Amino acid sequence: MVNRFYNVLLFMALALAPLAGQAEANLEVNTPAIASLKQSMQSRHAQLVEHYNSGAVGLTRDGMVAMRDANAVPLAQRQAVNALVSAENQDRTALYREIARANNHPEWESKIRATFGQRWVNLARSGWWYQTDGNAWKQK
Amino acid sequence: MYNRSFILLIVAIGCYLLTLSASAAYPQLKFSVADIKSPVFQTGSIEVRIDTSQSGARELAIDIEEIAVQDYALKDIRVLCRAFQWNRHEIQCTNGQLIAGDIFASALPMQFVATRSHLTVDLRPPGGEHWQFSIEWDAELWHAALTVKAGKMTHFARWLPEMLDHESFPTLTGGKLHGKIKVSGDLKGVTSAGIDLSIDALAFSDAAGMHAGEDITLSVKSNIEHDSRREHWKWRGDILWRQGAVFWQPLFFSGTDHALNVQGVFDGKTLAVHDSHLALAEIGTVKFSGVADWPDARMREFQLDAGNMALSALFDQVLKPFLADTVFAELEISGLADFAVLIQEGVLQEINLALEDVNIIDQRDRFAFHRIQAHIPWQAANTTIADISLLDGHVLRIPLGAVRVPLEIKNSHLYVPQLALPVLDGVLKLEDFSAAHTDTGWRWEFGGKLTPVSMEALTEALQIQPMHGILSAYIPRVHYDGESVSVDGVLQINVFDGSVVIHQLKLIEPMGLTPHLTADIAMRNLDLGLLTSAFSFGKVEGRVDIDVSQLELANWKPIHFDAHMFSSPGSYTRRISQAAIRNISALGGEGAVVAIQRSFLRFFEEFRYAEIGWRCALRFNVCYMGGIEPEPGSRYTLIKGGGIPAINVMGYNRDVGWQELISRLQRVTQENEPVIQ
Repeated sequence: MVNRFYNVLLFMALALAPLAGQAEANLEVNTPAIASLKQSMQSRHAQLVEHYNSGAVGLTRDGMVAMRDANAVPLAQRQAVNALVSAENQDRTALYREIARANNHPEWESKIRATFGQRWVNLARSGWWYQTDGNAWKQK
Repeated sequence: MYNRSFILLIVAIGCYLLTLSASAAYPQLKFSVADIKSPVFQTGSIEVRIDTSQSGARELAIDIEEIAVQDYALKDIRVLCRAFQWNRHEIQCTNGQLIAGDIFASALPMQFVATRSHLTVDLRPPGGEHWQFSIEWDAELWHAALTVKAGKMTHFARWLPEMLDHESFPTLTGGKLHGKIKVSGDLKGVTSAGIDLSIDALAFSDAAGMHAGEDITLSVKSNIEHDSRREHWKWRGDILWRQGAVFWQPLFFSGTDHALNVQGVFDGKTLAVHDSHLALAEIGTVKFSGVADWPDARMREFQLDAGNMALSALFDQVLKPFLADTVFAELEISGLADFAVLIQEGVLQEINLALEDVNIIDQRDRFAFHRIQAHIPWQAANTTIADISLLDGHVLRIPLGAVRVPLEIKNSHLYVPQLALPVLDGVLKLEDFSAAHTDTGWRWEFGGKLTPVSMEALTEALQIQPMHGILSAYIPRVHYDGESVSVDGVLQINVFDGSVVIHQLKLIEPMGLTPHLTADIAMRNLDLGLLTSAFSFGKVEGRVDIDVSQLELANWKPIHFDAHMFSSPGSYTRRISQAAIRNISALGGEGAVVAIQRSFLRFFEEFRYAEIGWRCALRFNVCYMGGIEPEPGSRYTLIKGGGIPAINVMGYNRDVGWQELISRLQRVTQENEPVIQ
């Protein structure tokens, strides 16, 4: 169920409106590297979703995730969740870079990242936390 | 000096009250002390007042404006005593109150007894706490003690961030203190002190929970003693971590029975640490000593020595959390390590690292090195030689044999003049390997060659289609700039009895999540017999050249190239079997097979050909195909017949999905030689 939801989420993040300011960018582009990253993110989502729900992890403006309130995680698990966040951010960074490369415009990486940042927030479930333009945390 | 002032104050109050006891009653008596200053603490104005009611009952009130210890101050402290007795020898308050809002939220029940040579103050906050302060003195010596039972650590919650000069320092949220602190001295000051405390259920956290501890039980023992003959302080501290857990991003520290034992001397200008050690359960013991100037904390000398450290626990608990964003984040390391560090005058002078039976394994299976033995010395001022040996391992599935590396180390530069690394049944000879650590990370370069490796062994190791022949290579200068591996010049490989020249070879983020490889490749004179037999493709005799330009692999899979395969110039046998024709047709269209089946050609096992050609431009997962010559329309010629019997093979599919093409190839090559019926 979680994976199915994540598939929808990822598909919509990739398929919604054109990249802001880069109408010709193809965010749906698929390469073996992108497929591998999406698979990795999808399998990790099942572990992250409970932390989105609890508010421990939130979505940042720049298309990444961050530990927002570690108090929501038992002390003994905080390092593992921290590592999970770090691994997710590595995959997300690589995903944005690969999409830019696949479009033959590596210089679009930062704009692709910003566009994804907005899309992840739009698609977040009610109750999840995200970072506003002023870097404050807000619950959806 | 300050102790003398304090004692004098106590004595003054005592004497005054004792004198008062013998004198006539007064409605109110009051006297003030402006302030007391010492190097360690200061007090603001102190006012002592005794009010006498009409019934003759007396009330003692002591108001202290401020007690400051260095930069930390307690303000508005008040002692009230509504029931107190005194005589020539003693003052006793059995029903008093201490009001100190900076520490205690409400007034605390208090008792005290004072004589000419002794003062005891008892505080009993609610919840079973008991704090007892006592001091006794004579003409030359004094002894003070603070005894605590079930004292709540949260009393100090407000003070801790200020004491550590860190506003975001975690707040104490729990913990109970038991034990005793003793201080002794003479008229010149403190001469010795001792701490014997245990703390249980200690808990703390910052607002974000990124620096927090829970359920911590510690015991702390410490003593310090002044050696008047040598004019220094001799000190010792022992902390035993009995249980608990701390998350201090990114570290998580838990377990039982960790111990820190430190000792040394302090002469006011120099702090020396002798024979100290930190014992971490499951990891090992680190011994250390050093000398630092005081008070600027400049490290004059520091020595650290650790033996038989369990690398598995050391890496997982201490090192790995700091490597989260690097390729090392997913390593498993086991084995033992010894290391020693020497710092002099604040500068790192020597490191010695020894590894014993160490295994380094990448959890993503990109590489593994087994049974590493190493002695790696490093000296700031000299070149050293490290001896590193490896029993076996693999990189990107390619097995490596035993190797011994004579590594020259000079500051942050590494150099290996020659290295013979067994790779499968060949040897990778590296020459002039040099590496340096710069502000932007590690950079390295080397040259070398690969002596013949059998393709059977290589393809088996890579878990790809078995191939025959040998592979050898000349490797020009290869360098890594912190992000990419590039080859200066061309990489030459001999395979399938032909040659492969790779130009512009570049490997971007080789150990990243999605490594990219770009290159232009020119293959010449490849033996089609060797090549096709590898793939069960059907027999083809002849030779081909293949140009692959603008090749790009992402995650080791092709995402872009322009490939052109064509018959090599020259005179050689050019024959192709029916089976091979059928398989080629399966890739480009079924026309040729139909033609064979419908004509007398089906009686021939082999055909002659004049030329073979195939083109593919891979773009966005689609292979745009062509044949020997660029041709308009949907048809293109893959094989041009020549001689008797001869046959032309045409292709009809211009655009084929790359995955579909690969699937077709796999089907063709996995099946046995097809039979024309």
